[in-house]
Amino acid sequence: MLKLAFRNILRQRARTGLTLAAIALGVASLVLSGGFVEDILVQLREATIRSQLGHLQIYKRGQFASGGHHPYDFLIESPETIDRAVDAVPGVVARAARVSFSGLISNGRGELPILGEGIEPEPEARIGSAISMLAGRRLAAGDSFGVMVGEGLAHALKLKLGDSVNLVLATREGAMNTLDFKLVGVFRSLSKEYDARAVRIPLRAAQELTATSGVNAIVVLLAATNQTARARADLETRLPPGYEVKTWQELADFYNSTAALYERQFGVLQVIILVMVLLSVANSVNMTLHERTPEFGIMRSLGRTGRDVFRLAVLETALLGAIGAAIGVAVGAVLAAVISAIGIPMPPPPNSESGFTAAIQIVPTILAAAFAVGLLGSIGAALLPARHLARTPVAEALRRGV
Amino acid sequence: MAASNERSAANIVHSLPKRYGAIGARSRHPKRVLVRVENVSKQYRLDDQLVPALNSVNLNIEQGVFMAVAGPSGSGKSTLLNLIGCIDTPTSGHIFIGDQDVSSESPDQLAPLRARTIGFIFQTFNLLPVLSAEENIEYPLLQFKELSAAERQRRVRRYLEVVGLSDFAHHRPNQLSGGQRQRVAIARALVVHPKIILEDEPTANLDHKTGGRILRLMRRINRQTGTTFVFSTHDQRVIDMAIRRVDLEDGEIVRLGVRVGKEWVYAMERVIDSAADSEEDDA
Repeated sequence: MLKLAFRNILRQRARTGLTLAAIALGVASLVLSGGFVEDILVQLREATIRSQLGHLQIYKRGQFASGGHHPYDFLIESPETIDRAVDAVPGVVARAARVSFSGLISNGRGELPILGEGIEPEPEARIGSAISMLAGRRLAAGDSFGVMVGEGLAHALKLKLGDSVNLVLATREGAMNTLDFKLVGVFRSLSKEYDARAVRIPLRAAQELTATSGVNAIVVLLAATNQTARARADLETRLPPGYEVKTWQELADFYNSTAALYERQFGVLQVIILVMVLLSVANSVNMTLHERTPEFGIMRSLGRTGRDVFRLAVLETALLGAIGAAIGVAVGAVLAAVISAIGIPMPPPPNSESGFTAAIQIVPTILAAAFAVGLLGSIGAALLPARHLARTPVAEALRRGV
Repeated sequence: MAASNERSAANIVHSLPKRYGAIGARSRHPKRVLVRVENVSKQYRLDDQLVPALNSVNLNIEQGVFMAVAGPSGSGKSTLLNLIGCIDTPTSGHIFIGDQDVSSESPDQLAPLRARTIGFIFQTFNLLPVLSAEENIEYPLLQFKELSAAERQRRVRRYLEVVGLSDFAHHRPNQLSGGQRQRVAIARALVVHPKIILEDEPTANLDHKTGGRILRLMRRINRQTGTTFVFSTHDQRVIDMAIRRVDLEDGEIVRLGVRVGKEWVYAMERVIDSAADSEEDDA
């Protein structure tokens, strides 16, 4: 039966070729668009992780639920025990403590509300590798009272490198506290919104400013993003009670909504291509099977049932679908590699200032899904005409041949 | 090996090895009835109109006959063959193949019966174009699970030889002449060892010489194996090669004939019967 099916699809080479081309084109475009979306999402994910979030963040239990409104209530007073637990987890590349605060920044010309972070410069430089410096440099270990601010903030206050700025905030006890800092750098992260209010100062200075000795969060960077779930589980068993671990995905609202948007769009694209494959295959399959009605009549006159005929017709189209889909996957993968080598210049994503270069990822699950669309689309296209064939009365099927 | 093949070609005896004497003699001593057609009518629906194709046909086909169904086109020949061949179902009446009433079963239910009891040969040869001669002949055997591949091959080779196409086993239908294609079709019909072979205008697409050869081949097989042959035709020369004839006109049997030497002897009972029937109906 397989042999018969193969020969049947080889009989009309031109038409088989056209059908294969339609299937392959659809599948290849799925491979390309899927790989493109995947690449954008991976880039966005890595940028999100490597500009702000790290892979994991450890808080005192309750801080996350409080929405960060009472940072002083959830201080980690002895980060050393946490550090030991983190260092025991395999795959950890860097960890950094952060103190969060909110307050005002002023330079004499104006005042703006800020979201401040006290950071450890060295590990933070490794975690924040996706943060680009527009001017000056990152905070360094020796900067006791240096400050780096986000692009939007620097622009609003017309700050220049070397300018002195003043931070004002309320301490834990409610007293106002203020310190002067010298601007060492202006940075751009992934989020324009963040850059409009972000101020980073050394951890020590932040602790002095807020008059605390603890930290709010410990940020952990792993060697690879796919280790996140395992590292989190591992870390949770090692942490003393009273702490919680959040993954980047739980913290990355922007990434999550962007990913959902892209995936929805890609889903629609997939449906469109599925319908396209279905229609073009249906057309040629319908014609081929219709022309061969007498042939299927012969088979049944020789003792085959309608079911046998149905199966042969569907098998032939399934073969076409499988071959077409395989070609499509191969072509798509090759094109993806070529396009990736050249690169696709992209405009800045929403809420972002800098463009980037996209590539096309070759992902096994996308290849498999594209193949499945090609195969299932073809089989789907064959079902109706095949059923019609199986139901055509034998005598009538044979008459068509005369 | 070659010698034994020649012998088997000259003396084909398979699972139905009954031999009959002269057909003329048999008509006087009727053999077992293979097919009974009882009061069968068939109407087709064309758009909204019912078109009568057969009207109250009664016919017995005895085992081993070599019978022509004669009549102009549109007289119902093909319909009658299709009904006997279980690829169509009658509107009313009954058809028995052996003792089985096939008139109420669907073509799919009758597929096994078609596979083992009936062989078809068509005007347009109707070979599967992507299969070689050999594979076409083997095709109906593939559904017989009890046959080993070796046994299938043996049968295929034997019938290729019977129809004289051993040298063309690997040719595709489009590489064969019309006569050769019809020989493949005959071998394909014979290979399942059917009780009856039904042929719809088997020579209509062949020239007279080739058609004559094909008919003589079939007659030889009929004589040697006792396989029943029923073929439809409107060609007088073809009719004259049959031993029996059934003449159809407008969906009704108008006469039955038996050939004695070169002359046809007609029995008109059926016509008289149906005339009597219609008189009764009128009364």
